[in-house]
Amino acid sequence: MNTHETQAAQVFLAHHDFVRGVALKYAPWPGLMEDIAQQVFLEFMAKESQWDLSTDARPLLATMTRHIAMRQWRERTRQQPEVVQKLADHIRLLAEEREAPPRYEEEISVLRACLQKLPEKSRELVELYYYNDIGTPQIADQIRMKADTVCRALSRVREKLRECIERSSNQGGPAHA
Amino acid sequence: MPDTDTLIQHYLEGTLTTTEAEELHALLQAQPELGERLLQHFDMDAMLRATKPLVADNIIRPALLPKRRFTFATVTSVAAMAACITLLGTWLMNAMLNQRPEAEETTASVAVLTRGVNLEWDSAAITPGTPLSPGWLKLKSGIAQIEFYQGARVLIEGPAELQLVSSGEATCTRGKLSAQVPPQAKGFRINTPKGTIVDLGTEFGLDVSAANEEVHVFKGEVELHQPAVTMKSLKEGQAMAIAGNTAVLTANASSFASLNEMDARSAMSQRFQFEKWLGSSARVNADAGLRLRFDFQDDEGSRSLRNHAVNGGQISDGSIVGASWTTGRWPGKRALEFRNVSDRVRLNIPGETKTLTMAVWVRVNGLDRAFNSLFMSESWGDRKIHWQITRDGKVRLGIAGSNGAHHADHDTPVLFTPERFGRWTHLAVVFDPAAQQVRHYANGELLTRSALKETMPLKIGMAELGNWNDRRSSGGVAIRHLSGAMDEFTLWDRALSDAEIAVLAK
Repeated sequence: MNTHETQAAQVFLAHHDFVRGVALKYAPWPGLMEDIAQQVFLEFMAKESQWDLSTDARPLLATMTRHIAMRQWRERTRQQPEVVQKLADHIRLLAEEREAPPRYEEEISVLRACLQKLPEKSRELVELYYYNDIGTPQIADQIRMKADTVCRALSRVREKLRECIERSSNQGGPAHA
Repeated sequence: MPDTDTLIQHYLEGTLTTTEAEELHALLQAQPELGERLLQHFDMDAMLRATKPLVADNIIRPALLPKRRFTFATVTSVAAMAACITLLGTWLMNAMLNQRPEAEETTASVAVLTRGVNLEWDSAAITPGTPLSPGWLKLKSGIAQIEFYQGARVLIEGPAELQLVSSGEATCTRGKLSAQVPPQAKGFRINTPKGTIVDLGTEFGLDVSAANEEVHVFKGEVELHQPAVTMKSLKEGQAMAIAGNTAVLTANASSFASLNEMDARSAMSQRFQFEKWLGSSARVNADAGLRLRFDFQDDEGSRSLRNHAVNGGQISDGSIVGASWTTGRWPGKRALEFRNVSDRVRLNIPGETKTLTMAVWVRVNGLDRAFNSLFMSESWGDRKIHWQITRDGKVRLGIAGSNGAHHADHDTPVLFTPERFGRWTHLAVVFDPAAQQVRHYANGELLTRSALKETMPLKIGMAELGNWNDRRSSGGVAIRHLSGAMDEFTLWDRALSDAEIAVLAK
């Protein structure tokens, strides 16, 4: 890599969470955020010689991310049955109409602190589902519970974490789950 | 019916049934506040997935097999690892080369066919760009421009017979030729049945018929050598019969093809071919079996390739990553150049494909890697396909087995030797379960047929032109990008016949 390429990669990595936030807004489809971020990285680096890296990269990255998100969203949802496509369209519309800007970037650092405060059982559930990539039916088998119960438990964990983040944001102090 | 939390979880997990999707959609319409709740779960779900690498050391390890998911952190780690592996590989390679130098590749070629207009051959067909080894060229009609490696440029007009002897010598037994010999190629020789012309840095014409042989000097000077006859010297504007009447005549440049004329005719011929191709595009696009056609005529600023197949259905446009626009097989025709490890065109071929034909115009610049991608499914396994060129120049269609069964490679004999690098070549491959065959073609000609043991449908899925994306979450990412250019790519869900493929390659 030459110096400009290295700088471009550093600029992207510094804005990685920002790109993810924009991707979530324009393509709320499970598992798509990382694919979009990867594609933005590839396209950003492919044209790196064109970018003035001394200016704020956010407007450029936001535009690139929005275009790529829309494209990948179309590609991904087009393969789905019609009823799922309708649902996906509805959810994307809701995400786009949200007044609040993407807060992913600020929230993820707070989330890490909140995770440490979770009760042990909730934390184990997060680890099984999110870090070991085990589906809810398999978790249910393993811990001898109904799959719906696992779904509700995961839902509660996410809500607790959301409350923790909100509390932390409002108080500006340490997070407590 | 599952409760709302379960429906949201199934959405996040990608396991919603159509009934559940309908139910969730109805709930979202009836309860507007549910939308924000779902989006909050969605955001949190994405953030939780992104925190995985930071707490990976603390995770517990159940005995269940995990579902693999792809994260950016994985990609960057893998990319870094790939860079290290490449550096290590380069270092090892250099170390080995220092110890035991490899034998260099060699070529027997002495000249190259640089251009041609309306070429028809009595000998094996040759296309512009082909390096030429010593031997006979028998041109039935048309004009061919040959550049000898010593620097002489020769135009031959069919019907003609020319034997290449070395990079500075040829023998003409029939037909007309004109030669332009720069000072670097001084001493270039053309033999005829009745004598030998030695050029001293000039331009001359030669007309060899059964009845007569004449040499015409347009510029500079040539020597005419004949058995048992004193050498004659001919100057600019002079002409002479090589045998019989040795009177000095006036050179007639207009009766020989000139390089300027060649330029004009070559440009016209290329334009004609380009327009013919454009004219036939609509018919090809409308073929009922055509699922994908990239003609690479998208705007130069475009970063996507449009699928022109009328019956393309679910196959959307391709997304260009990194690759840059270049000139295709005719002036004005566009193509994409693949040079860098990142260069690729990403596309998706959803569903199953029972029968498959693929064709591409490709210009290979070199085979630097073990596998050089033409068109590859993302990752590998469960009836995915990898169409590629191996380092030793074979074209390969690799088909992954289903349910862990062994894969099958269908190879051609060595096709891409260094002599073929830098030239446009038409490749096609047919996966034909009805005939239980895989067939490979090059420039419209059948190269090989191999028996197909497993005829189950193919599942191409996400795929890339000119590169490969290995979605493994650990280990190095193999570098398989093409070093070269592509200017047309087509994909059918039927088996094209030999004749149809020959038409595509014209």
